[in-house]
Parts: sequence; structure tokens; C-alpha cells
Amino acid sequence: MSENQNPQTNQRTVTTTAEQPRTTTAGETDERTHDAWTAYDFDGDAKMTVDDLDVYYGDDHALKGVSMEIPERSVTALIGPSGCGKSTYLRCLNRMNDRIPSARIDGSVRFDGQEIYQDDVNLVELRKRVGMVFQSPNPFPKSIRENIAYGPQKHGDLDTGLLARLLNRSDAAERDELVERCLRDAALWDEVCDRLDDNALGLSGGQQQRLCIARCLSVDPEIILMDEPASALDPIATAKIEDLIADLAEEYTVVIVTHNMQQAARISDQTAVFLTGGELVEYGDTDRVFEDPHSDRVEDYITGKFG
Amino acid sequence: MAGARTTDTQLVEDETTEADAVAALAIGVSAILFALAVASMFERITLTGTLAGVQTVTLLGGLLTALGLTVLVLGVGSRFGYVESTPDPSAGLIAGVGAAVPWALVGGSVASETLGLGTGGGVVGAVVVGGVALAATVLPREDVGSTGPLGALLVVTGLVFSTGVIGPTWVWELGWEQQAAITAEFLIPVATLFTTLYGGWASAKAYGGFGARGRHMGAYVLVYLNALSIVAFLFILVAYVVVQGVPGLLTGFEIGLGTGPETTIFGVSIALPVSVPFVMNGVALLNDFQGVLPAIVGTFWLVIGAVLLAVPLGVGAAVFLTEYAERGRFTQVVEVATNGLWSTPSIVFGLFGFAFLIPRFGNGKSLLSGMITLGFMLLPLVVITSREAMLSVPDEYRDASAALGVSKWQTIRSVVLPAALPGVVTGVILGVGRIAGETAPILLTMAGGTFVPGSQTVDVVGSFQFTSAPPFVANPALLEATSALPYQLFALITAGVGLGSNVSDPNAFRWATALVLLIVVLSFYAIGIVTRYYFRRRLKHT
Repeated sequence: MSENQNPQTNQRTVTTTAEQPRTTTAGETDERTHDAWTAYDFDGDAKMTVDDLDVYYGDDHALKGVSMEIPERSVTALIGPSGCGKSTYLRCLNRMNDRIPSARIDGSVRFDGQEIYQDDVNLVELRKRVGMVFQSPNPFPKSIRENIAYGPQKHGDLDTGLLARLLNRSDAAERDELVERCLRDAALWDEVCDRLDDNALGLSGGQQQRLCIARCLSVDPEIILMDEPASALDPIATAKIEDLIADLAEEYTVVIVTHNMQQAARISDQTAVFLTGGELVEYGDTDRVFEDPHSDRVEDYITGKFG
Repeated sequence: MAGARTTDTQLVEDETTEADAVAALAIGVSAILFALAVASMFERITLTGTLAGVQTVTLLGGLLTALGLTVLVLGVGSRFGYVESTPDPSAGLIAGVGAAVPWALVGGSVASETLGLGTGGGVVGAVVVGGVALAATVLPREDVGSTGPLGALLVVTGLVFSTGVIGPTWVWELGWEQQAAITAEFLIPVATLFTTLYGGWASAKAYGGFGARGRHMGAYVLVYLNALSIVAFLFILVAYVVVQGVPGLLTGFEIGLGTGPETTIFGVSIALPVSVPFVMNGVALLNDFQGVLPAIVGTFWLVIGAVLLAVPLGVGAAVFLTEYAERGRFTQVVEVATNGLWSTPSIVFGLFGFAFLIPRFGNGKSLLSGMITLGFMLLPLVVITSREAMLSVPDEYRDASAALGVSKWQTIRSVVLPAALPGVVTGVILGVGRIAGETAPILLTMAGGTFVPGSQTVDVVGSFQFTSAPPFVANPALLEATSALPYQLFALITAGVGLGSNVSDPNAFRWATALVLLIVVLSFYAIGIVTRYYFRRRLKHT
């Protein structure tokens, strides 16, 4: 574990550890965080590096000085009570918070070593490479095939328009290949292969969510951000999504926000715990965080005494 | 008064009792009476005529009396425990006011007119009688309160009509300067209509056994009759126009090979196998039968032109307002401006077209000026409805698209607009219904003046020409004055334009024009509904 302790704020002593504590904002809160608790050593490269990230919604300080490194090809779970800033954090990773006019973001997020919060970032390219799946399934009111082909078509990678068809340059074959590959990767192909032209809104909730995952895969992302993807689904659909996430982690970097601690424990390689006030309190190997948390507050939260 | 409930509330109702059957019958009688009242109001049945062998007035009065007695019996029966019910301690103040208003009217009229006590006496009478009705409704237990005053009202009204106190020839001269009078033809249907509503309400309450369930039934019957009357009014209006218009429409109608006018379709000249001169001819001196074909064609092109102008502009403005502009003072101003534009009287639009467009387009009334004027009239509604439709597209779609890296404009084009289309189409349907029937702007910008309205059919498709000088295309037909159906009707009624020597009944000709206008407008409406259905189906799973 690295010992990059912040020396400027040692106003309190904490009895549980010998190391120096740090308060995020002096005098504002007595909630304590500790850099050592969030320093996580892992093998391999960091896909995403977040440094001292602050987010404000107007006057509301939603995320306070979060720093964490997300390893490649793994599942990272973000847990914490409602309103702790974990979804806000997730939406910073592909700059979806830009769409909220009152949001202000300070700090640094590096994706493969490149800063994404600078002026001339190509948001189209960033969001292609950092895909996102939302809490409630949100397929477009179009056919299953159109839903999958939507992204690549809009990026100009697939052309099946009238002109292309007239000029005999249609990519219909490539499109169908892509649709099949994405649906297979999202474990949905067998259920929908005979009704690809039906409206996606006719699928069940779990199928819709897997369709959204397939749609997200269609633009070939490297990271998939998932914002409570199973919270609106029944246990069987949830189990399917969890299996799918485990498979996806072999090829993609998955970051998942969840309310369900059992789910986090089941599927993730490392877990980050956010607590009320927008602080990252603990981050580390999932087994370690759940079995032997450093922080009392995290232990209370995990055992259900708080949160 | 506010005694304990006569019976315990039961979870499961017993089988239909006699009282339920009587109450249901009373509701049925109210519905029949309601229909009869509407029919006689529109003179579909005459008061002096007979219906089922009885004079109509007597029948109405008798049914009203019977309904009133039934309501009274149901209330009293419930009060003395012959009928199972769960009444509340009081019928409530709203029911009280509801009963007091008609009674106050009766009291006031009787005191001031029948007893000759003058205005002051009328006011006293109204207050006294209304007050008594209010007290009689509010003070007793609900079953008596909500049936007694209303049942009595029905009985009194019914007896007055059936005994001839107010007969078919009754007239009440109001003694105003304008010689206004209330006649029996007006009073009897209106009084029947309203008292029937009261009767239906009271018997529905009785059917539900009073209490909460009774009030629910009462409200249900009232709301249902309301909805029914909307359908009834539309049906009566359409039926009226059809009945009056069909004879004129079919004047000179012939069917058989070669009877119709010569028509050129794709270069082949054939004679249509039917001849309906009214919709196939224009107005000309030597015509056997005059027709309104130019006006139909004019209306058609007018609507097409207005829609082509207003829809792109309106949808574009709505896209800007919902997707791009930040919500603030500017969007508020635009919103107020569009609403204001929509409420602007059509004659003002007409004047604008007359003063601004006509001097710029050939200095004469023209189809083009009419199209633009009506396009501007249609614009605000398209903006308002498109905006609502786009606001109701869930933000999840926009998020999903943005998360795929798709740009805002592409998202709008391929996700937001398709999802909003049914709403946009609804707006255009409503707008077309309005502009297709506009007379004033057409009068000022498109028709009228020196030419005989409806003498030439405008040929928009056929008069496209290519020219050697810019703008290289020209369409003289767009700059010609032409007629449209509402204007044709107006000209017919005010100036008798288009009446030929063979038209023996000008009225039939007018009604036929109105019928054609109605058909044209309803056809646009039908096209809109089919389009909307098509887009909705595409958005929903089947």
C-alpha cells in the first residue's frame, strides 16, 4: 500500500489506526477518511486514473476530492447509500455530467493516461470508448436491429441508407453480423434471433436491459459504465445480467454502481465504498473490503448498521 | 335526522332487488328523456307532433312526472327502511345548492310573472323557494335530501307540461326593446334537459344505495351523459348538414358510361362513368348545373401550401426551443408570443396578408398570398404542439444516444423527432381543421374582387413552367385569384353567386356547399388520424 498521506491536515487523531488522519474540509465535518484506506495496489495497468475529483451541483458539493485508479479488464463496484455521489462519480468518467448545466467539475480524470477534462477532447470518441448502461432499461422505440445498429450508423461506420442501397454499397451484411455479435455477447441472441425487426419495447425488462448492453457494445467500447443496471429487474433477470458482467470483464473494463452489497461481493474484483457527503472512504480488493474493512463506518454500512 | 344507518354496510351486495331494478329503470328513462330533449331542441321532433301515439309535450311531461314520482318513492322507501341503503347523515352543501338553483328559478318566475309581484317579489320568491329547497336537501338524511326536492321539481315540471299550463303555443314576452320572447319550443326542451339530468343523478344515487357508492354512481351518470351529449351534438350537426345538403349535391346526378365530363389522366382522355355536376363543374353562364369544383381545388391547394410553409418552420422552432435554447427569459417570450399569435383573430391575419403580401405578389389577390397568410395562422399551433410533443419524449432516449457518442443533432433527427411525430401530426390536424374553414383571410387575400368566385379551377401542377431567367421556375397559377369552399359559401349566402337558372332552391345549393366543405375538412382530418396511427404503431410494439 502506498503511503501518500496528506501532511497538511492532521487536526485529529484517530484511535483505530496509528496513521495520521485527514479531514476533507477542516471544521466542516467530523467524518474521517484516510488515504491509506483508498490506496489500492493491483497488478496490471490502470485504465482510468481519477485524481482529486470535486463535483458541485450549484452550491451542493456532491463529490469531495475523490482519487482512485481503475484497473483494466476487471469489475469495479461502487457501493454506498443513496445520495453518496457514486452515480455522479460514474457519470464523470464519460463526461455525461456535462449535460447537466449546473454541474461544475474540478480535478483530473485520465483515460489511458490522457486527460479527459481539457478543452479539445473529442466527446464523440470518448463516449464511444467509454460506454454506459443506465439504471432503467432505455431502448429506443425502434426495432431490435435498429437499436443495435444505431450507434455505428450514426458514426458513419455502417451505411444502409437509400443511396447506399441504390449504389449497391449497402453494409446490410456487416450490419447483420454486428447485430448478431453484439446480441450474442450480451447473451440475448437466442431469445430474439427470430424477431429482430420487432419493436424493442416489446421485450421484457431484463431483455431490454441486455439489449441496452448489446447496444453499448456495438460501438466497441473499452470501458462499460453501469449505473445500477439490475435494480429494476427481477432476480432471474438480475442473475443473467450478473453472469453477463462476469463474461464482459474478460474483454472490457466494467465499472458498476450498485445498491446491492451481495451483488457487489458476487461480481466485482475491487470495491469502492462511498459514504454520505460524497467521499470515497474505502477502496480495495472486494474480499478485503467486505471481510476486513479499515473504516468503522464502512463496517457499519456493510453489516447494515448504517446507511 | 342524522340517525344511525339503517343497515350495516355489506361487503357483498345481494342479488338485484326490486328497488335496484326500479332505480335502473329510472336511469334509463332519464337517458331517453335526455335524448328526446336534445332531439326536440334541434327540431328533430316537434312538440305538437305525436310520438308513440301521444302528443310530444304530453309524453315529455308524463315521463318527467313518472321519473319524479319514482325518485320520490326511492328516497322515501329508503328512509323508512323498505330499501336497503347506506345513506350519509346529509346530502351535503353542493347537492343543496344544486337543488336550490332550479327551485329558485321556479320560485322567482312564479312570483314575479304568474303572481304579478314584480321584480322585488320575484327576488323574494326566488330566495324563499330556493332557501326551502336548500334546507330540504341539506337538513334531512341523505336519502330524503337528495331525492325529495329534486323529485318534487320533476313532478312539478312534468305536470306543468302535461296539463298544458305551459303548452306548445306558450310564449313569454320579455318586454324588452328587442322584442325578445321565450317560446315553448325553447323552454320545454331546455327545462326537460336539465330536470332530466337532476332526475338521472338522483336515481343513480338511489341505485348505488346512497352514501359514498351512491355519490359515485351519481357522478358517473352525470359524466357519462355529458360525454354522450358531445357525441350527440356532433352527430346531430353532421346529420343535419348531410340531410340538408344531399339533395343539392346530387342535382343532375347521372351514372352510366360516358355520362361524366371528359378527363385527361396521364395523357389519356376518358369520360368518367359518373356525373356529379355539383362537384365536377365550376360556375359559368352556360352551365346546366353550377358546381363548386374550383372551390374544392382551391381549398385543397390552400391547405397543402399552408402546411408546407408552417410545418418545417414550426417544427424547426420547436426543436430550437426544446433542445437548444436554454430555458429562460427568451424562451418565455417566444412562448407568450406563440400563444398570442394563436389567439389573434383571423381577420387580423387577413388584413396583414392584404396589406403586406398582396402588393408583393403581383398586386392582386392570389392563391400564394392565401397560402402564406394561412401558413402564418397555422404556425403557432404547430410550434405549441410540437414543443409539447418533444418535451414529452423521455430524457432517457437522449441520454442513451449521448452515451453512444451520437451528436445532438443526429439524436434529435433520429430519436427525438420520430418519437414526437404523432404529437406533431395531432397539432397539424387541429390546425388544418381551423384554417380550412377560415373565411376572412381568404376573402382579403385570395378570393373576391372583380372575378366571379368559382369560375376557374386552379391548375397548380399543370402550370409549372421553366423560364430562362432566374428563378427559372414559375407558376402563374399560384398568382391567380381563386376560390375556396368557405368563401364560396359566404358568397353564395350574401350575394347569391353561383346560383344558376336550374337551381330552384338556393337553400339546397348552400347546404350542399356546406356539406362539401365538411367532407373536405373531415377528409384532411381522416388523413391526419391515419398518419398519426401509422407513426404511433411504429413507436409501439405490436
